[in-house]
Amino acid sequence: MNHKTTPLLALLIFCASNLLLGQQITISGTVKDESSGETLIGATIIETNSGTGTSTNEYGFYSLTLPQGNDSLTVEFSYVGFQTQRQRFLPKKDTKLNVKLGTGIQLEEVVVKANSYQEQIRSTEMSVEEISTREVKVIPALLGETDILKTIQLKPGIPSGSEGTTGLYVRGGGGDQNLIVLDEAVVYNANHLFGFFSTFNTDAIKDLKLYKGGFPAQYGGRLSSVIDVRMKEGNNQRFAGTGGIGLITSRLTLEGPIQKDKSSFIVSGRRTYADLITRQVNKANEDKEDYNPIPDYYFYDLNTKVNFTLGEKDHLYLSGYFGRDVFGFNSDFFDFNFYWGNVTGTARWNHVFSPKLFANTTYTYSKYSYNIETKVTGFSFKVGSDVQDNNLKTDFYYALNNHHTMRFGLNATYHNFGVGRLKAGSDDGEISFSSGSDYAGASLGAYVADEASFGAHWKLNYGLRVSGFSNDGKFYAGLEPRLAALYNVNPDLSFKASYARMYQYLHLVATSGISLPTDIWYPSTSQIEPQRSDQVAVGIEKLFGGKYMVTNEYYVKWLNKQVDFVDGARLFANEDLEEEFAIGKGYGYGMELGIEKQEGKLKGWIGYTLALVKRGKFEPVDPSRNFSDADTYFFPRYDRRHDVSVVAMYDVGKRWTFSATVVYGSGDRTWMPVGRYTFQDVYGGDPQEFVPVFGERNAVRLPYFFRSDAAIVYRFFPKWGESDLTFSVFNLTNRRNAFFLYIEPQYEDEDEPLENPIAIPTGLKLKQVSLFPIIGSITFNFKF
Amino acid sequence: MKDLFLLLTIISLFSFSACGNLEKEIDLELPAYENQYVVECYLEPGQPFTLLLTQSFAYFDPFPTELQEFVENLLVDSATVVISHNGADYALNNQLFPNFETGKIYNYYNPELVPQDYDNDFSLKITLPNGKTITATTRLLPVVPIDSVVVQFSEIEDTLARVLTYMTDDPATENYYRRMLHENSLDSLPQQDFMTFDDFVDDNRIVFGSAFDFVEGDTVYNTIFNIERAYFDYWESVINAVNANGNPFAQPTAIISNVQGDANALGIFTGISYDRDTTIITK
Repeated sequence: MNHKTTPLLALLIFCASNLLLGQQITISGTVKDESSGETLIGATIIETNSGTGTSTNEYGFYSLTLPQGNDSLTVEFSYVGFQTQRQRFLPKKDTKLNVKLGTGIQLEEVVVKANSYQEQIRSTEMSVEEISTREVKVIPALLGETDILKTIQLKPGIPSGSEGTTGLYVRGGGGDQNLIVLDEAVVYNANHLFGFFSTFNTDAIKDLKLYKGGFPAQYGGRLSSVIDVRMKEGNNQRFAGTGGIGLITSRLTLEGPIQKDKSSFIVSGRRTYADLITRQVNKANEDKEDYNPIPDYYFYDLNTKVNFTLGEKDHLYLSGYFGRDVFGFNSDFFDFNFYWGNVTGTARWNHVFSPKLFANTTYTYSKYSYNIETKVTGFSFKVGSDVQDNNLKTDFYYALNNHHTMRFGLNATYHNFGVGRLKAGSDDGEISFSSGSDYAGASLGAYVADEASFGAHWKLNYGLRVSGFSNDGKFYAGLEPRLAALYNVNPDLSFKASYARMYQYLHLVATSGISLPTDIWYPSTSQIEPQRSDQVAVGIEKLFGGKYMVTNEYYVKWLNKQVDFVDGARLFANEDLEEEFAIGKGYGYGMELGIEKQEGKLKGWIGYTLALVKRGKFEPVDPSRNFSDADTYFFPRYDRRHDVSVVAMYDVGKRWTFSATVVYGSGDRTWMPVGRYTFQDVYGGDPQEFVPVFGERNAVRLPYFFRSDAAIVYRFFPKWGESDLTFSVFNLTNRRNAFFLYIEPQYEDEDEPLENPIAIPTGLKLKQVSLFPIIGSITFNFKF
Repeated sequence: MKDLFLLLTIISLFSFSACGNLEKEIDLELPAYENQYVVECYLEPGQPFTLLLTQSFAYFDPFPTELQEFVENLLVDSATVVISHNGADYALNNQLFPNFETGKIYNYYNPELVPQDYDNDFSLKITLPNGKTITATTRLLPVVPIDSVVVQFSEIEDTLARVLTYMTDDPATENYYRRMLHENSLDSLPQQDFMTFDDFVDDNRIVFGSAFDFVEGDTVYNTIFNIERAYFDYWESVINAVNANGNPFAQPTAIISNVQGDANALGIFTGISYDRDTTIITK
């Protein structure tokens, strides 16, 4: 066959197949929360007769194509926690059905959840975890500070980094391989305070969806996960507020209609206040001679969003986020200021071209930067780095007929990177040091995907993403095929499979397992090629008794052009960062099992993950540099063989909710010294009695991890609204989980090494340091 | 230092909630380790040839409690050590050479003086009792002089002074330096001891500063070593490895030695050249 005619022929067959489907009509519209006007993402729409169904997309829009006829049809709209609504209509012509669901008295919760589970079973989407802020708010949290990024770690396949931090290592991927977007804008460093808190204020967030695999074609740019966080839109029915006072932060959110039903706003802020106390302590002690002032530290977040309905077919959303961590230490001789944070902005325009064609066009701006400024008499020192994105994208959603739903779109991002900017010198200008490089790069992406159903049981979602990246005269392009297949045995059982290739053009420069504000992003260059991953996953989804959803998935993942850093890498304020990189490979495989129940008095889930990941074959970009264990594959620190989490939430009447979580995991791996020697050094230097000789990377596994937490929420219903007191206990069993290990020499007399520089120890002891004992906390929350 | 500060911040932030001890002793089996030979040899023009050959141990190997036994256990004897330069071979005898001035001990020694030659290589060959060899090569670097040392008294607290040490860098070459600052005695632990290179220098002037830590009458020793890249890499890797014990932010690192050969040894063979200034703090 002449290959040139092949696409044409395919198109003709495709068109003909549409004609054969007979006359069809389309119902479309949006599904919203009646009380607040917020769009509901993932609400289920089912035609009750045929069981044909769909769900609302991320903008609350749906489109369902049905056969034309003379008999009226019933369509059921449902969403967990809301009262199901049925609407009858005559399928003569395209119909617009905008629906508002109310919470009301929930009689049919079982049906609602079964509907949404069955919609999940019918969907080609797999390897997805979702969490709503309603759940996050009742699950126990460290110091009572609820955090959506930490709660999602309780789902299978998403091990955390160090205890209590927001790091995510999805299916063996690195902490740098997660695409985190807030209202479609990339958040480059989603952490406050070394990752102990995330940048997402629970009060301002609607929900979070995390893809571990089977990535839809509209997503690209990171290898291991896509974390899509949506901000609330604001109540367009009435003025409302929520807030809270906790041990760490205070929060306040105000929202309301600008014009009822048509436009609304939301403003949400949160701030820590330890610094207000430490400043008073410092002031009270300032006259004491030996007093060392406590440094100032605080962080804050500000989220805002407005949205406008512009006629029948258009909707405009404007949202922004601004967050900062500020650390300051000032004395008579010395001023040290360190601040870091993200800014994001999103302008989004939804347009409904027709009941079948929906478009979303978005402009986003993202910036992450850190700055350190130090001043001592006569000299100053400034260092900083940043990454800045301007991104324009457009996405189309086209419900061609009831067998084909297409998505296609384009995006272009212009990146600016400021790497290792340093300016130091004397005030008189006699001495000056500087370094720093600026890079500009552009990312491009275009995709098309079609979800096609074949008969009653088979569905295929096939798509292709074309991505490209240009920096410094070098251009990389990648073809990223995406495929997801579904075999739906019956409404309660399906088998799924997926394949996805992903490219990552930006690399995080970090060696520590802990998120640091100085971790920066670096573009692909002629020497540092883009990272690539291929993942195959298969799974079973089965609903038992309409209540218990069991998912079981198996995956294999291959990682290429992985980034690590040479021994003794200098990552801070280095303008020749490229020389510090080493490029290698990796692979991982695993099994995840989840059982979930989301209705009734007792809700929750149990997750188990069995996984293995290895990285290796790293070659330094600069051949004169060294990378230990370069020739082999080794386990990364986050290789966790077993991971179990149990989450339970139990409602007792309207007033009480009890919740508990239990987490068990194989210990993280650690790179320990195996040998030691004595280093004499030259005259004047400090001799080292024990120079550790590190063995194979991460060959030692830390003791297993175990933690159980519990929380009690007690609600009050005053006239003005609702409030609650949340008591939570972190680490109920007071277990000491290992944060890190170190080796300490033991002497007969503790002061001996101070008095005698060549004191001989009696032995060495291995010590384990933990971060969190049992910690209780109380938080007061309110809404009106 | 930066990392320690981060750790302290985290621990102090959470310590208010602490109940009980967050540190405990644990048992963990470390992978097996085979002892390695360790070389330390610094060539200083005008000084005798000295070399220290020791061995490493598995981390939890027991320590001999007596100093003499400890030292004997550490030192490796009966090796053949030869340093060659410009066609001449300098054999270093296996004998203890304690330098009472510096407090350093070496176990291989040749009383001949290291020639001041910046243009030709020095090469080292050690043949161990088991027949395996260790080799290394280095070249001496000239002294980079300290231009001036300026004492400044604080305007806020006029009894306290700091010291600024100026030097000139050659912009035509990539240079590495080790800087030491001692107060009152070179036998004390240095107040500052770090290595750096001239990457950030805009023109050719470099200054090293101190805190306002000195009072009138203090003696301040400023030392600037002009070092080679291999020594920079070795010393940094030693310090990084030491710091990685007990610091969760630090990346463990292999020791980057410049000694080669089939003995799989660790260590450094390098030239030493430095300028040292002694300043007494006066107003």
